[in-house]
Amino acid sequence: MKEFEPKIIAMVCNWCTYTAADLAGTSRLMYPANIRIVRLMCTGMIDQKYILKAFLDGADGVFIGGCHPGDCHYINGNLKAVKRISGVRKLLEQFGFDPARLKLQWIGASEGPEFQRHMTEFVSTVKSMGPNPARDCMIL
Amino acid sequence: MKYEQPAIGVYICHCGMNIAPKVDVENVAAFAAALEHVVVARDYKFMCSSPGQSLIIKDIRERGLNRIIVASCSPRMHEKTFRKACEQAGINPHYLQMANIREQISWVTKDSNDATAKAKDQVAAAVARVVYHAPLTSLEIPVKKSMVVVGGGIAGIQAALTAAEAGYNVHLVEREPSIGGHMAKFDKTFPTLDCAACIMTPKMVEAAQHPDITLHTYSEVASVEGFVGNFKVGIRQKPRYIDASKCTGCGVCTTKCPSKVISEFDQGLTFRKAIYSPFPQAIPNTPVIDRENCLYFTKGRCRACEKFCEAHAIAFDQKEEILTVEAGSIIIATGFQTFDPTPLTQYGYGRYPEVYTSLEFERINNATGPTAGKLLMKNGKPPEKVAIIHCVGSRDSRYHAYCSRVCCMVSMKFAHLVREKTNAEVWEFYIDIRSPGKLYEEFYSRVQEEGVHMVRGRVAEVTDIPENAKNEGRLTVVAENTLTRRILRVPVDMVLLGVGLEPAKGADDIGRMLGVQRDKDGWFNELHAKLAPVKTAMSGIFLAGCCQGPKDIPDTVAQASAAAGEAVSLLAKGTVRTLAEISYIDPDLCSGCKTCIEVCPYTAIGFDEGRRVAVVNEALCKGCGSCAAACPSSAAAIRHFSGRQIMEEMEALLL
Amino acid sequence: MHPFAFLKTDGHLSSSVAGFLKKLLTDKIADAVLAAAPTPYSLLPMPTLFTDPEQIEKANPLAPAAPFNTARQAASILKHETGKRIALVLRPCEIRALVELTKLKQCVLENTIIIGVKCLGRMENAVYLEASSQNANLTQAFYDDPVLQDRICSSCAICTRFQPVHADISLSVIGMSANESIGLSAETDVGLAVLKQLGFETCDAPEGRKDAVNRLLEKRESAKTAAFEKTRDKTDSIEKFQRYFADCLNCHNCRVACPVCYCRECVFLTDVFAHDPEVLLRRASKKGMVKLPTDTTMFHMTRMAHMAHACVACGHCSSVCPSHIPVADVFIRVAEEIQNLYAYEPGRDLSEAIPLLVFDEGV
Ligand SMILES: Cc1cc2nc3c(=O)[nH]c(=O)nc-3n(C[C@H](O)[C@H](O)[C@H](O)COP(=O)(O)OP(=O)(O)OC[C@H]3O[C@@H](n4cnc5c(N)ncnc54)[C@H](O)[C@@H]3O)c2cc1C
Ligand code: SF4
Ligand code: SF4
Ligand code: FES
Repeated sequence: MKEFEPKIIAMVCNWCTYTAADLAGTSRLMYPANIRIVRLMCTGMIDQKYILKAFLDGADGVFIGGCHPGDCHYINGNLKAVKRISGVRKLLEQFGFDPARLKLQWIGASEGPEFQRHMTEFVSTVKSMGPNPARDCMIL
Repeated sequence: MKYEQPAIGVYICHCGMNIAPKVDVENVAAFAAALEHVVVARDYKFMCSSPGQSLIIKDIRERGLNRIIVASCSPRMHEKTFRKACEQAGINPHYLQMANIREQISWVTKDSNDATAKAKDQVAAAVARVVYHAPLTSLEIPVKKSMVVVGGGIAGIQAALTAAEAGYNVHLVEREPSIGGHMAKFDKTFPTLDCAACIMTPKMVEAAQHPDITLHTYSEVASVEGFVGNFKVGIRQKPRYIDASKCTGCGVCTTKCPSKVISEFDQGLTFRKAIYSPFPQAIPNTPVIDRENCLYFTKGRCRACEKFCEAHAIAFDQKEEILTVEAGSIIIATGFQTFDPTPLTQYGYGRYPEVYTSLEFERINNATGPTAGKLLMKNGKPPEKVAIIHCVGSRDSRYHAYCSRVCCMVSMKFAHLVREKTNAEVWEFYIDIRSPGKLYEEFYSRVQEEGVHMVRGRVAEVTDIPENAKNEGRLTVVAENTLTRRILRVPVDMVLLGVGLEPAKGADDIGRMLGVQRDKDGWFNELHAKLAPVKTAMSGIFLAGCCQGPKDIPDTVAQASAAAGEAVSLLAKGTVRTLAEISYIDPDLCSGCKTCIEVCPYTAIGFDEGRRVAVVNEALCKGCGSCAAACPSSAAAIRHFSGRQIMEEMEALLL
Repeated sequence: MHPFAFLKTDGHLSSSVAGFLKKLLTDKIADAVLAAAPTPYSLLPMPTLFTDPEQIEKANPLAPAAPFNTARQAASILKHETGKRIALVLRPCEIRALVELTKLKQCVLENTIIIGVKCLGRMENAVYLEASSQNANLTQAFYDDPVLQDRICSSCAICTRFQPVHADISLSVIGMSANESIGLSAETDVGLAVLKQLGFETCDAPEGRKDAVNRLLEKRESAKTAAFEKTRDKTDSIEKFQRYFADCLNCHNCRVACPVCYCRECVFLTDVFAHDPEVLLRRASKKGMVKLPTDTTMFHMTRMAHMAHACVACGHCSSVCPSHIPVADVFIRVAEEIQNLYAYEPGRDLSEAIPLLVFDEGV
């Protein structure tokens, strides 16, 4: 059987983590192809329902990347995201999702190598967890 | 909401050899052609080239496309380009969506099949999303024809003069009693050694006399509201306790005042009075009363100044005032402060009287300084041997990891001045010599030719314990000469510390008020290190001088002129376009909970008390989406980043 | 210890309480009183706004029934200042919801007298109607008879916050013989002033009440632990979650009944979730089929994600579900996890900031 290849949604902010992802590209830093990037203007615009949507649609992991505290392009959007995300993580945990499938990470615009490292690490973490259980059942 | 039946064109770029062959572009185009609503899908060598763009334009016109997907490099690179092409072809530029298949796929993926599969997903996502794009427009708002410059050092003065010359009103805000900044404290400036006062004073006077410049000295920025083109800046005028309109600047008051206070301007080396002008050429020359040290304010008696002031300008009852000015743009020019070497106890600063910071030495050297420009020690005698230590607090991970850029040149300037004014021997201790400016290397050679001892090595210690009795009373500098691998013990009379530069105190408050980010060392962040070195991420706010990072006077002046140029270009254009990708609050959905008002970092949301709904101010909104995420009913949504668009994109990625 | 007063009932619990409310109107302490009362057409008590002292004799706020959480109705009266002073008789969960709605600017609590009931629970509507058809004096009987008390709904049976917080006056039946007298305790200065104005003598609360409260608390705590355990077993995987909510009709009754779902229109009824045929076909193609309407699971989970921090555990979402899905059992359990995470308790304190509006690096 082929090795399990997770699909991971990365919701990243335009100003830091998306830029870091571009920089990883410019620097030709290779990482696994399991990441699907959704570009948002700021982590502060992430509604809980986006995360739930991703998991219910079968994402094996959701990675949220924003600017370091103090660096958010919009002052503190990243901090607004923190509680919202920890709440969704707690919620998902209640329904049998491994909380580690949802990761929040600050990656600054100049941190191309960090972007590569976090992608590689997260892919392998999610790989070890196996597929999202929602993949195999009919979601109403 | 869908605005019309979508007819989508998909364009996959090869980017020469950058995307293809890693991504099988033909395969991706074929895949795209089969997606819902897609009318044409093509691959092409260089989409951003003008034939590439023409391809899109032609298809829009001939095939009636109303949505465009370009799968190529990062949208941060070419989104503007392709939006323009859409506009040129007659469709709304926001009907474009890009898929980043270069930076985020072909360049970072090893396996070609993986890369192709990922590219298909990202293209499918873009197609799913673009269906729900809306035609967006933005507002054009007039720009106020004036600007505020914060900080009246050489940077601020230069910027103010440049803009005023172009005919714009400038408010120059300086927190000290006089403009001038650091440069006003120097005697000579490297590399040409021209007299600082001779080049600085005329600039200061010119700024003061310019009809289009309003000086606000002894003032600070109290508040900033608004947005590019339409800022409202609150300026807090601290009370001088002197009626500037009456004061003639005769200075009688300062001679009569009995209260002696340590002079900040002279770096604590002399005294001033409680009523004072920081230095003789101060602009404006209206003195200020330092409330903390004034006998009248502290003890309720004296009023000597009042008695002697013939102009009756003393005004003990003056109050702080807040003045609000309008500005189309703002320039930050808050400069730097020098590193305090006290924590580096091995250098003995504060313990040994003959250890000076570079700024103190500038004053000693200055004709208006404590020794009237004579190079004397505290005992009144000239030194016979002087050590100069480079990189104090700079290039040191415990303090500042960065290079302060000017200290090498400052130190060599000092070496030259010591040699010129005395017969003293000069020993310089450096790590590397950094002299990469016009005529700087030449200056370095000149100093070497003047017989200065250059020792490559970080100083381990400055001590008052001599190696032999003959040097009793002198200081000894201990260092390893890393070129000869020998430990040196050099007895000297005077030690000068080439202290590093750090951001001016209060820069954090300015940053917060203006919403401009600072880097990890506290310097203001430019928008782009290479391509936008004087812009900031806040449109309409620019940087000049050392507030952005250590630099010398030529660079400061050049940058200040550039900042003024950017600011003037904005004001000259006369209007700014608001962002199109901003929040919209659906009044039918809004329940009036004001949550969005609470979370909006730019106070961009108001409340309509009549309808009891929140309303977005389109000029203030920056589209951060805080409101959209916080509003549970999605009454607030960001145009171009709506829940619908984001979820469609995600769903397609997970198909 | 709050100042305490006895309200004599002498075997007429309902009419004594109504009499107390009537005095609020006759003595012009309140301009209007909101309290539950049966309508002329049914015994089911509905929140009713009284201005006429004669009419208020029908009020029966202690009846063990509540067809819905009154907070939203209360909020509609208190939407903005009217200059009128309004007294409201509310259950603890209703007050909690009202406090949350106040934080969300849905109403203003100035100029109100909140009379909270120390609540023994409510019956489901059908149970109540059946029981009252057998006993004309059900309200009185309920407080005397532990067997009747066991017929309360499942959410009330695990409720540990049955004592009102944020009330001016609390009506207490716990640990009292309701056929002799019940307690009125003044929990705020406003409450004390009202009692004084009404001519009540205040004293210390009688001994023994506390024990009764603690006994009830213990009973509820253990019931809650057991219920949570059971619910967890039924929902701890996404597959089980689907099974649990399988019969959901997407009627959104649960969210209409929810006192803290304050949105004017639920996002699930807006354009965001109105799908084009292409989207539905695409969804079907993913696994070969798709149940319509889609997004049922999304709806329930999103509602939890948006509102769990504010859930007041009233249980009305279960009561209104036409498919008899025990919605509240999951919601209350999850809410407690989320509220612990944020160290937030809805309704505890008007000045306690909504956790999602506090921005720091914590949690
Ligand atoms: C010892 C020493 C010697 C030097 N010698 C030379 C030399 O010979 N040649 C050379 O080219 N360069 C030299 N330099 C570098 C030179 O000092 C700088 O390049 C130059 O001063 C930078 O100007 P600036 O206007 O950016 O900053 P500053 O001179 O620091 O001016 C900033 C101004 O802003 C004001 N300000 C700060 N914060 C606020 C606020 N919040 N609100 C209002 N006002 C504020 C300050 O009071 C100050 O007036 C030397 C530097 C040092 C330390
Ligand atoms: S958060 Fe939503 S409902 Fe509340 S005021 Fe803002 S737009 Fe209206
Ligand atoms: S998107 Fe919303 S929160 Fe952000 S600036 Fe605009 S109105 Fe304010
Ligand atoms: S802009 Fe990056 S997190 Fe806000």
